[in-house]
Amino acid sequence: MNILRIARKELLIQFRNKQTFTFMIAFPIVLILILGTALSSAFSSNISVSDLKLLYKENVQNQQLEASWQDFSQILQKEGVQLTKWEEGTDGQQAVMDGQYTAYAELNDDGIHYYGSSQQTIENNIIQGMLSVYADRYNLASAALKANPASVQTIMASVDSFGSFIKETSLNKEKQPGAIDYYAIAMSTMIALYASMSSSSLIQSERNRKTSIRLSASPATKGQIFAGKVIGATLINFVCVLVVVLFSALAFRADWGTHYVAVGLVLLTEVALAVSFGLLCGYLFKDGSGRAFLVIVIQVVSFLGGAYFPTDDATGIFKNIVLISPLRWANHALNDIIYSDRAAAALPVIGLNVALVALFLIISGLFMRRREAI
Amino acid sequence: MNVLEIHELTRKFGDFVAVDNMNLKVREGEIFGFLGPNGAGKSTTINMISSLLRITKGEILLLGKNITKHSRFAKMNIGIVPQDLAIYEEMTAYENIYFFAGLYGLRGNELKERTAEALEFVGLSDRAKELPKNFSGGMKRRLNIACAIAHKPKLIIMDEPTVGIDPQSRNYILNSVRKLNEMGSTIIYTSHYMEEVEEICSRIAIVDHGKLIAEGTKEQLKSSITDTKDIWISYKSEQPLDTERIRQIPGVTQVLDDEQEQLLRVWSKAEINNLNLILQQLIQNQVEIRSVDEKAATLETVFLTLTGRNLRD
Ligand SMILES: Nc1ncnc2c1ncn2[C@@H]1O[C@H](COP(=O)(O)OP(=O)(O)OP(=O)(O)O)[C@@H](O)[C@H]1O
Ligand SMILES: [Mg+2]
Repeated sequence: MNILRIARKELLIQFRNKQTFTFMIAFPIVLILILGTALSSAFSSNISVSDLKLLYKENVQNQQLEASWQDFSQILQKEGVQLTKWEEGTDGQQAVMDGQYTAYAELNDDGIHYYGSSQQTIENNIIQGMLSVYADRYNLASAALKANPASVQTIMASVDSFGSFIKETSLNKEKQPGAIDYYAIAMSTMIALYASMSSSSLIQSERNRKTSIRLSASPATKGQIFAGKVIGATLINFVCVLVVVLFSALAFRADWGTHYVAVGLVLLTEVALAVSFGLLCGYLFKDGSGRAFLVIVIQVVSFLGGAYFPTDDATGIFKNIVLISPLRWANHALNDIIYSDRAAAALPVIGLNVALVALFLIISGLFMRRREAI
Repeated sequence: MNVLEIHELTRKFGDFVAVDNMNLKVREGEIFGFLGPNGAGKSTTINMISSLLRITKGEILLLGKNITKHSRFAKMNIGIVPQDLAIYEEMTAYENIYFFAGLYGLRGNELKERTAEALEFVGLSDRAKELPKNFSGGMKRRLNIACAIAHKPKLIIMDEPTVGIDPQSRNYILNSVRKLNEMGSTIIYTSHYMEEVEEICSRIAIVDHGKLIAEGTKEQLKSSITDTKDIWISYKSEQPLDTERIRQIPGVTQVLDDEQEQLLRVWSKAEINNLNLILQQLIQNQVEIRSVDEKAATLETVFLTLTGRNLRD
């Protein structure tokens, strides 16, 4: 009961603190808007993918190769590629250059020759991706044809499995985040981390106000005070994050997918992680230097986690450093949940967050117990 | 019955002994004055009584129960008014009291009633819904008291509740202390203002360097120092007085010069007749003497005699 009273008091005080709200809500919303619009061109999927048109010239003698191409071209059509058979008098390469087709492919017993459009790069990439899987095997088979015609059958027999194969190599995922979507996630997870700032003075603020005297002299135990304050701080910061999420979804039409519970839990555990880490820093650092330390930590973690620009393509040492950012764990999980429709992607990051929260709280708890009053 | 008993209480901070083997009894229904110069160990003692500091040695009994063993019982029966304001500026007067009283297990209607009572008691009912940041210093002090009394503790501990407020608010608070006492609470009252303590306390303890050096009613304390006289000399002088010379006169124990009021106070052993020497010393220094008065012993005299220090240094 005392835990709830203290948590409620914490909420009340923070709700009336205008600074909390400008910082935790207005600031990220403005950032989403600015970064989301200014950097939208960096997110290519904003450009809509136009029709995929493949012109092909088939000059295959071998029946098995011929049959396998028939099967494959059906798969291509199912994937949304418009196939056009080459007719006498057409210059395939010229037609691609003129923009009539995305690509031109020539098939004969020697293999596949491919000419992609240099204007429709994305579309070209998609078709090339699909075709390359097939072409590898086709070229292999056509080479085998010369040496040992019987083996063509075995090589091309697995043509049915192309279907699943193609999905993986294709660029044509169901959904891709646009700039606003990206920054809606990145800012929400970043602002969750800022919960650690106010939490670093969670206990110290009571001491500054001298209300720690009353709390310690009251029948509420140290554990209750501790738990109440942690719960209160987590809730208030979580509410701030939720407001940012909702605002970005409603006002900016940012995509938050359909797995609300999974998204919510990732964000909640991330806030809890930030709160418990901030609390610990409050115990580790004297007189507010914890705050300065946290500003730096948050900036680094945010930067590495892709709060300002995506760091997924990081290479070298950077690629490994990036992995230690809790922001990246959260962003990755959210991306998976929202864009790959995998609610289960939330589990590892929730588990990791909860474990760290437990660790930080236990250490903070030990510090607290050593103190005479709170 | 004794509400509070302190037995051989000691508290150390590292090697420094802040409270040294203190023994004290506070009876039910008393307003008990706790006096001592800065750093005497008053707050340290109070903080041990209210479980804010651990006890190095000795024990404290509240209503006969050891407060370390019966921590919850002790806490439920104590209300503390801290030396500094201890309220939430972001919460209204009502919310502050409601929150703190709630920690004492009060619920529902009872909690609401007690909160309203406490507000009424300190005269803040009409400001209940306001934030303390709009309050005057005196009003904040009153709220500080209200937060400590809503749960009706048997023992109320007040650590300098009248510091830095206007005389009107001070009177209000002193009257409240009396009323709380009449309503059945025992009170421990710490103050730097002697007159206050003389006015409201039934018994007084004087501490210095962590030790209890005197205890009793104010009459008892005053009669214990009949060997001291308190001389008030009103003077006129352009230059500051040379109090060091006067201090060296045989029998003089303490000299206080109030330059603004042009009033010199000299404490001296009663049996030595040294008034002539004192006046001579002043006249030699071209000080014009306007009046000389020998006062009856006050609590301040007691305090100065026992500690050799002024309370307000
Ligand atoms: N936490 C602490 N660590 C070390 N020394 C302390 C601590 N708290 C108090 N002291 C020392 O113990 C002594 C008694 O302090 P205390 O606060 O009890 O005095 P006090 O009688 O309340 O004085 P004041 O009239 O100024 O309030 C002082 O010398 C003080 O410096
Ligand atoms: Mg004190």
